[in-house]
Amino acid sequence: MKLRIAVLLAATSLLSVAALAQEQNKTYVEARGNVVPVPLPPGGPPPRMADGHVDLSGVWFSGPTGKANAWSVVADDTPTRQDPMPYRPEIQKKLDSMTRAERQLMSAQVTCRPLGVPGLWTNNPYPHQIVMKPNLFVHLIESNNNWRVVRIPRQHKPKEEQETLYMGDTASRWEGDTLVLDTISLDERNWHSDSLHVIERLRRPSVNYLEYQYTLEDPKVLTKTWTSAWRTYSLGNEDLTENFCTNNENVEQLLKLQEAERGR
Amino acid sequence: MKTTVCTMFCLLLLLAASPARAHHAFAAEFDAKNCADVTGVLTKVNYENPHAYLFMNVKNAAGQVEEATFQLSSTSNLRRGGATPAVLNASLNKEVLIRGCASRNGEKGRYAASFIKLADGTVQRLGQDVEGLFGTKIWR
Repeated sequence: MKLRIAVLLAATSLLSVAALAQEQNKTYVEARGNVVPVPLPPGGPPPRMADGHVDLSGVWFSGPTGKANAWSVVADDTPTRQDPMPYRPEIQKKLDSMTRAERQLMSAQVTCRPLGVPGLWTNNPYPHQIVMKPNLFVHLIESNNNWRVVRIPRQHKPKEEQETLYMGDTASRWEGDTLVLDTISLDERNWHSDSLHVIERLRRPSVNYLEYQYTLEDPKVLTKTWTSAWRTYSLGNEDLTENFCTNNENVEQLLKLQEAERGR
Repeated sequence: MKTTVCTMFCLLLLLAASPARAHHAFAAEFDAKNCADVTGVLTKVNYENPHAYLFMNVKNAAGQVEEATFQLSSTSNLRRGGATPAVLNASLNKEVLIRGCASRNGEKGRYAASFIKLADGTVQRLGQDVEGLFGTKIWR
């Protein structure tokens, strides 16, 4: 028995070494567009507006490089230290029963619906531009060239005046150097729950970095309040480009896949 | 139930989506284990969103010409990666090689592209690295 184990271990070890050697000797394809990411330095304290609050203005790319990283050749080490989403058991059960195609068809990025709040941050691989003045937060996104404007400070509208919107009804305030956006009344096509409440926090710890965190409260779907990890964005030096969704074949293709999956 | 079905998926997507990533999962539509180098004549460049497309005339084993369609990344990623309309259009009506992974829905001749060898010999990224061809970052 010991001999068998020893042989097995030796074989495993040899295989591992061989695999490693093969990996190390692997020749990667050199191609225009490959990106080797270089993180930006912090860049000093953040700029401030005339009213003394931190100015969040800038073009912001996800991650630490100040550039697009879709074709990075280094592993994505985005920190994901956050709790799993605490779904209610009946929600989790339904979720587990759905196919990948069905899940994809629920994404606003796949159907080209407006991303809404907080999807314009969390379901968006493209850069952002923030333009700030004292008392005004303007958020432009390259994805489908969409936008959101919030006055600061702002209270929620009276309940009788509220309507469901992709961007919802946002109250805003400063908590020290953190801008807090508190949103309710979100469009049911993106969220479908009249009890959803999103609290977003934005801060700029240094010139070159922006951080974003969001909290979800939805007792119809979640067993408790859930808060994301802080996401990192870095300051870019280029303009947003035109990006309209004018030729969406995703839906038709995924419906074909869904049909094929059901037939299997 | 209408209330919960959409919400749970939106929440799931919010959790899953890293802003750096592509806008939807490659593996839902294409098979990363069924990829090939496809050679033929580039006939059309469709530079739109959410995906650009290239069209190619390919000769099959019997010598007949068939059309192949390649889904690329978004125009945002293509522009920033150097695959501008001018770069792609320069190879129109010329022979190129495209690395493509087959569609999972059974549609013949439909692929997702990761790179193109242009008519001038330049190798240009077009999409996600689902095979580990370019480095350590492999999308799924």
